[in-house]
Amino acid sequence: MTAASPDRAASAPVATAHQVPLVDAEPASQGTTWAHRHLLDLDRVTWPEIELVMRTTQAMKEVLGRPIARVPALRGSGVTILFYEASTRTRVSFEVAAKNLSADVVNIAAASSSVSKGESLIDTIRTVEALGARMIVIRHPTSGAADLAAEHFSGSILNGGDGWHAHPSQALLDLFTLRERVPGGDLHGRKIVILGDVLHSRVARSNIWSLTAAGADLWLCAPATLMRGFERWAAASAGVPGHGRFQVTSDIGAALRDADVIMALRLQRERMAAGLLPSLREYAARYGLTLERLALARPDALVMHPGPMNEGIEIAPEVADHPRSVITDQVTNGVAVRMALLYLLAGTGVAGAGGAAAGPTGAAEALGG
Amino acid sequence: MGVTIDGSGAIGRRIADLEISRAWLVDPIADREGPGEIVVHDGRLEAVTWLDAAEGAGVEPGGVIVVPGFIDLHVHLREPGFEDAETVASGLAAAAHGGFTTVCAMPNTEPAIDDAGIFGRVLAAAGSSGSPVELLVYGALTVGRRGESLAALGELSDAGAIGFSDDGAPIRSATILRNGLLYAGMLGRPVVDHAEDPALTEGAEANEGLVATVLGLKGWPVAAESGPVGRGLAILADVLRDEPRARLHFTHLSTAAALDLVRRAKAAGLPVSCDVTPHHLALTDEWIAGSRAWAWQSDADPWLGAARVAGPYDTSLRVNPPLRDRFDAAACLAALLDGTADAVVTDHAPHTRVDKAVEFGLAANGISGIETAIGVLLAAVDADRLPLRRAIAALTSGPAAILRAAGWPGARGLVEGAPADLVVIDRSETWLVEAASLRSKGKNSPLLGRELPGRVLLTVADGRLAYEA
Repeated sequence: MTAASPDRAASAPVATAHQVPLVDAEPASQGTTWAHRHLLDLDRVTWPEIELVMRTTQAMKEVLGRPIARVPALRGSGVTILFYEASTRTRVSFEVAAKNLSADVVNIAAASSSVSKGESLIDTIRTVEALGARMIVIRHPTSGAADLAAEHFSGSILNGGDGWHAHPSQALLDLFTLRERVPGGDLHGRKIVILGDVLHSRVARSNIWSLTAAGADLWLCAPATLMRGFERWAAASAGVPGHGRFQVTSDIGAALRDADVIMALRLQRERMAAGLLPSLREYAARYGLTLERLALARPDALVMHPGPMNEGIEIAPEVADHPRSVITDQVTNGVAVRMALLYLLAGTGVAGAGGAAAGPTGAAEALGG
Repeated sequence: MGVTIDGSGAIGRRIADLEISRAWLVDPIADREGPGEIVVHDGRLEAVTWLDAAEGAGVEPGGVIVVPGFIDLHVHLREPGFEDAETVASGLAAAAHGGFTTVCAMPNTEPAIDDAGIFGRVLAAAGSSGSPVELLVYGALTVGRRGESLAALGELSDAGAIGFSDDGAPIRSATILRNGLLYAGMLGRPVVDHAEDPALTEGAEANEGLVATVLGLKGWPVAAESGPVGRGLAILADVLRDEPRARLHFTHLSTAAALDLVRRAKAAGLPVSCDVTPHHLALTDEWIAGSRAWAWQSDADPWLGAARVAGPYDTSLRVNPPLRDRFDAAACLAALLDGTADAVVTDHAPHTRVDKAVEFGLAANGISGIETAIGVLLAAVDADRLPLRRAIAALTSGPAAILRAAGWPGARGLVEGAPADLVVIDRSETWLVEAASLRSKGKNSPLLGRELPGRVLLTVADGRLAYEA
C-alpha cells in the first residue's frame, strides 16, 4: 500500500460536502463510522459498516425521491469512472450517482483511451490521479485489478467489478433491495439461492460475504462445472467461527424448495465454447428459472437478477416480469447505494474531514442543505 | 570460531590464504558433520581437520557453518534476449551471494540455446563476467523450444550441455519426449521436464483451491502436473528397453500427487529423479491472499480464519507451477526428507519491474530466488522441519549426483587437496531481504522485507573469491 500513506491522504484537499453538518436520521447509527478508504470487496467490511451503508442508502433514496434529485455533497470532487469492460447498467448507475452528488465526473472507457495503446493499469491510475480524480470507480476483467489500483492511488478506489472476484456495490444493492422487500427487513434464516454460473461470478462472490453476514440461509446452485471450488469454500467457512456458512448443490429442486429469494446469474455464451456445458438448450432446460421451478419456492419468494439478462436461458421472460421480480428495484436502488458509497468513501479519502468519518451519518435533510 | 582471509577483495581473485577455526563443518558429499577447521592455501583446501568431542566443545551447528559450495540445477539467467531482467554476470553474482558455486542455466533465452553457437556465447559471457561460479548450461530439447523437432542434441552435448530441457514450457508431444529420452540417453544426458498439461493450465492463475476460488483466480489444477509426470514415467519405462542410459528428471515438482508417482517409480527402479523449490515447500497459495506464514506454520485452521497481513494479489507470488496449498507444500518437504526429491533448485526466475507491476493475471511467472534459497531452507531447519544435513545435501550432494551421472567432474566436498569450493554461513545472524540487498537484477521476491536466518559470509568457488559479506 505504497500510495496509502496517511500523510498523503491528509494533505488532500478537503471535500466541501463534508463541511456541511449532517444530522443523523436513525439513532442506531451512533458510533459506527466508515473506516475504509477504498471499497474493494465486502470480505473485510463489518456488519455494522454494512448497516451504515444501508442507512446512508436510505437517505440517498429519499434524495432521489425529490423533484430535483441533486445534492452538493461531492461538489468539487473529481470522480473518474474507469471501465475496462463493456457495461451499461453499472457505468450509468455510477455516473448518475456521482452527478446526483454534484461530483465532477469523468468517464473513461478503456477502448477509447491510451489503454488501447498498451498503457499499464498503474500508469493509467497515476494519470487519472494527476488529472485531479479523488475517487476512481474501476471495472476491469482481471481479478485483483481494483486492489492493484488502490495500491497506486492516493484517493479512494471503488471497485465496480474485477474479474471473477468482487462486485461489492452490486452485493450491497442486492442486500438493500432484499431488506426493503423481505417482510420485516430481516434476512436471518431466509433461504436465498444464487442460481447459475457461480464460478465466473463476482456478484456471487461478493454476495457470499454480505448475505451470510446478514444471517441468510445461503445456497449456491449450479451445474458442477460452473461451481468448481465452491464446495471447498463452503466446507472451509463451516469450520470457521465468524464466517457465514452456505451450502452448495447442483440439485436445483433441493435448492429452490421453500426458497425465500432466488437470484439468477447471467450465463455467458463463451462457457459453451470452453466445454463447461453441453448446450444453452440443456442449461435452460435444467437450470433456467421457469415459472414451474419458481413454484417450488415459497409463495412470496422474490426473484432477482444482477443483469443483463439472457431471457429464456437463465431466466424465463415470465419470471423476469413476474410481480415477485424485484429486478427493476435492483436497478433503481443501485443508484442510491452507489451515491451512499461515493459519499462514505469521500469522507475517508480526506483524513480529518467531516462527514461519514466524523460521526453520525445519513440525513436526507442535511444532504439537502 | 574465526575466519581469517588474506588478500581478499576482488571477486574472482584466487584465495591466497584462508583459515577457518572452530566452525561446524557439514559435508554431505563425505557424509560427515561436526566441529572442524579448514585451511586454504593458494586456492586449495590444504587442511580439513575434524575436531573430536573434547577439542570441538562449544562449537555448535547454530553458529558458523562451513559447507561445500551449493549447486543449483535450475536457474534462468535471461542472457541472451532478456538482459533487462538478468545477465549471466548479474546472475552469477546473485548465485555467489546465495552460496552457490555451480549453477545450471535453462535454455529458454531469446534465441533459445538450441545450437552450439548460442551455447558458446552463453559460456563466453560467464568467462568474461570474472565470476568463479561455474556455469553449466542445458541445451534446448527441441528447436526453438517449440516442441516440434529435436534440437542439435549431439552438437550441444559436444559443446558441454549438461542435459536437455524445454523448461518454461512442457514437452507437449509424447513422441518428442520419447525420442528425446532415447537420443539424450544415447549421449549420456538427462532430459529435464517441466511437467505441465497446457490444456489444463490455459489461463490459469493460481493453484486450484480455496484461495483461487475466493479471489476469483482461474484454478491451476494438481492434475496439470501429475498427469504429465505419469505420462513421462510411462514413456521412460518404454524407452529403457531400447536405451538403458535414458534418464528423466522432473524439475520443480509441486504436488503430493506428482511426488508420489516419482516415489513409486523410484521404488520400482526407474532411473528418474526430481527436484523441489524452496518456495514450493515453504510458501503456500495463502500468501496470495495476504498470509505470510511459512507453510509449516499453517495449522489445521482453514485459510478463511487465518491472518492476512499483506495485500492480496502480490504478483511476486505468481510462479509456474503455482504456489500450492499447505498439504502439497508439506509433501515437497516430505519428498526431500525421504529422498524422493533428489535436490532443491531455486528456479531463479528474475523479471523486470515492468513485467510484474501489472494485474496478477497478466504478470510474468517466476520468483527471483537464488539469494534467498538457503535462508528459506534454514527457516525450515530452525523450525525443526528439516535436518541441517539434509538441507545442505539437497543443495550439494543431491544435485551433484545428478550432474556426475551426466559426466560432470565437480563437487568433491570438503576434502584436502581439492580446489576450495565452500560457503561460510553464520547461522546466528539474520539478514533483511531488500531490493538493494539482492545482487540479481530481478527484485521479484515475495520475501522482500523479511528477515531470513543464516547470513552468507563468504563464498569460495574453484579456489577463488565469489562473494564476501
